[in-house]
Amino acid sequence: MLNLSSIQTSYGHIKALKGIDIEVEKDEIICLIGSNGAGKTTTLLTISGILKPDSGDITFEGESLKNMPPHTVVNKGICQVPEGRRIFPRLTVLENLEMGAYSLNFKSQTSNFKNNIEKVFSLFPVLKERTKQMGGTLSGGEQQMLAIGRALMANPKLLLLDEPSLGLAPIMVSKIFKTIKEINEEGVTILLVEQNAKAALRLSNRGYVLENEVIKLSGTGENLLHNEDVKKAYLGE
Amino acid sequence: MNYAAVKRHPLLRSLLISLFSAILFLPFKDLKSSAILFAVLFICLSAISSVKNLQALPSLPKIKLAHPRFLRSASMPAGIIIFLAFPFFLKDYYLDVLIMSGIYMLLALGLNIIVGFTGLLNLGFAAFYAIGAYTYAIVNTKLGMDFWVAVPLSAGITALSGIALAIPALRLRGDYLAIVTLGFGEIVRLVLNNWDNLTNGPNGITGIARPSIFGTAIGKLNMYYYLVFIFVVIAAIIIRRVECSRIGRAWISIKENEIAASSIGINTTKYKLYAFAFGTFWAGIAGILFSSKMQFVSPESFTFMESVLILSMIIVGGLGNTYGAIAGAFILALLPEMLREVQSYRMLILGIALVLLMIFRPQGILGGFKRCTF
Repeated sequence: MLNLSSIQTSYGHIKALKGIDIEVEKDEIICLIGSNGAGKTTTLLTISGILKPDSGDITFEGESLKNMPPHTVVNKGICQVPEGRRIFPRLTVLENLEMGAYSLNFKSQTSNFKNNIEKVFSLFPVLKERTKQMGGTLSGGEQQMLAIGRALMANPKLLLLDEPSLGLAPIMVSKIFKTIKEINEEGVTILLVEQNAKAALRLSNRGYVLENEVIKLSGTGENLLHNEDVKKAYLGE
Repeated sequence: MNYAAVKRHPLLRSLLISLFSAILFLPFKDLKSSAILFAVLFICLSAISSVKNLQALPSLPKIKLAHPRFLRSASMPAGIIIFLAFPFFLKDYYLDVLIMSGIYMLLALGLNIIVGFTGLLNLGFAAFYAIGAYTYAIVNTKLGMDFWVAVPLSAGITALSGIALAIPALRLRGDYLAIVTLGFGEIVRLVLNNWDNLTNGPNGITGIARPSIFGTAIGKLNMYYYLVFIFVVIAAIIIRRVECSRIGRAWISIKENEIAASSIGINTTKYKLYAFAFGTFWAGIAGILFSSKMQFVSPESFTFMESVLILSMIIVGGLGNTYGAIAGAFILALLPEMLREVQSYRMLILGIALVLLMIFRPQGILGGFKRCTF
C-alpha cells in the first residue's frame, strides 16, 4: 500500500534520514520505534509531504507522493495525527471534528459527515458529551482522542500516528492503544510512531527500529519484542 | 510578588494601575496634580472592583436583560438607523470626523482579515492604504479617470501588491513576517516620497476629483458620509459572509494551529495568499475614499504610526471579530477628537485607556472571534 524506498531527507545541511525503506501492507499496524532524534517524526513528515525528500521515492497505492504538497496527500487518503495533539484550542470539539472533514468534497460531505461523526463518537464517547466545549479546555487524553477523531473525519485509508501516548497517564495510554486496534479493525491501515516501544510492538503486526537515521532492524512485533538488542535498548530489560 | 498574586487582589491591582498612570502623568504636570490623579483613579478603581465582588454574592440577584435575543437582533438595525440619521443633526466638523472613522473602519476590517482571522501579524498596513490612495490620485490627475472606474482599479492594484508582498514574505512566520511587513510599509512610503515624476514627492498630489453620481459631484459632506457608510456596510456584509464560508474556516484553522491545518488537508499557502489579497483589497477601497475626500495625498498620511493605529483598532475592538473591528475603529478615530478639550493630555489619556483596556479586557471590547451560526 505504502512504499518508501531509500528515502533521504535533510533539514538544511543536516541529514535526518539516510536511506529509509519501509513497506506498509493494507490493514496492517506498523510501528516505528527508536530513540530521540532517530528520525521517526521526520519519516512521517516526509510521507505526509510537509518535508520534501532529497532522494528516494514514496509510493502510495502505486502513485508517487514525492512531490505532492501536504493537502493533496490528505486527499489521497493519508491522514496524519501530528505530535503533541495539535487540536484547534479555541474551536469547539464539534468544530474541530468538522474541520477534519475539510478535505472531503461538498457532495459527499453531508452524508459522509454524519456517518463519520457517529463513528468517531462511538470510538470516543467522551467527545460526544463535550461537543460544545472548547478544544483547549479538554484534558490531554481527550485532546489526543479529538486529534485522532479529527483525522478519521477525512476517511483515511492510512492513518499516521505520531506519539499518541506522549504525556498521557498510563490508563489513558492503554485506552488510546485499544482504540487504535479498533480503528484498524474497521479497515484503516496504521503507521504508528512510538516511544512506548513495548506497548507499540505488542499492538503491531510488524515493526521497524530506527537508529541514527537508518533502519536497523525490522520484523514482526512478536519477534522484535523478544530480540535481545531491542530488549536492551528500548524495553529496558 | 508574581502576576497571579496581583490578579487575585483587586485592591493591589487598583493601586498598581493608579500608580502607573500617575507616574506617566508626572512629566506633564506637577507632583500635586499627579497625586490627585492617583487618588481619584485609586478610589474609582477600588470602588469598581468592590462592586464587582458584591455582584458575585448570591444575595444580590444579577440583573438579567429581559429579552437578550431580541436586543441582539435589534441592535444591528438600530445602529444602522442611528448612523443614517447623523448627518441631520451633526455639525460638519463631526461629520468630517465620522467620515474619517468610516475610512478607518474599512482599514480595520481589512487588517482584521489578515491579523485577526489568519493570524499573520502585519505592521505595514498603511502601505496598502497608500497604494490605493495614490493609484486613484495618479490615474485621476494624469489620465482623468472617473472615481467609479478607479474603485475596482485601485482595489485591484492594492490586492495585487498585497499578493506581491505575500508571495516572498509568507515563507516567514510570526515575528519575522511582522518585520518584513514593517519594512515594506517604510519602503512604500519612501518610494512615494522620492519618486518625484509620478508622485510629486513630499509635496503630494493636489486637485484630485471628488466622486460624482449621475453627473453631479458629491461635494457636500453629508453625501460623502453616506457614500462611505454604504462602502462600510457592503464591506462588513461581504467579509462576514466570507468569514463564515469554507475560506473563513480555513483562515481560522491556520491561526489556531498551522501544522494541524495542513494535516487536515488545508492548503495553507493558498489561504494565506487569499487573506492578504482580500484584506489589502479593502485597504485599497479605503485609500481611494481617502484621496477623493481630501482631494490631496502626501506620503505623510501613511506613516508607521498609521499602521499601528489600525492595528490598535482591531485589538481594542476584539481581534478576529468583524464587528469588533468596526467598533474599535469608531472608538479610536473618535476618542482623540472628543478629548480635544484637554489638548496636550489627550494622547496620554488615550494611552492610559488602552493600557487599562488590555488589563481589564484583553480580548477587546467585543471579544474574540464571533461564531458563525449556520
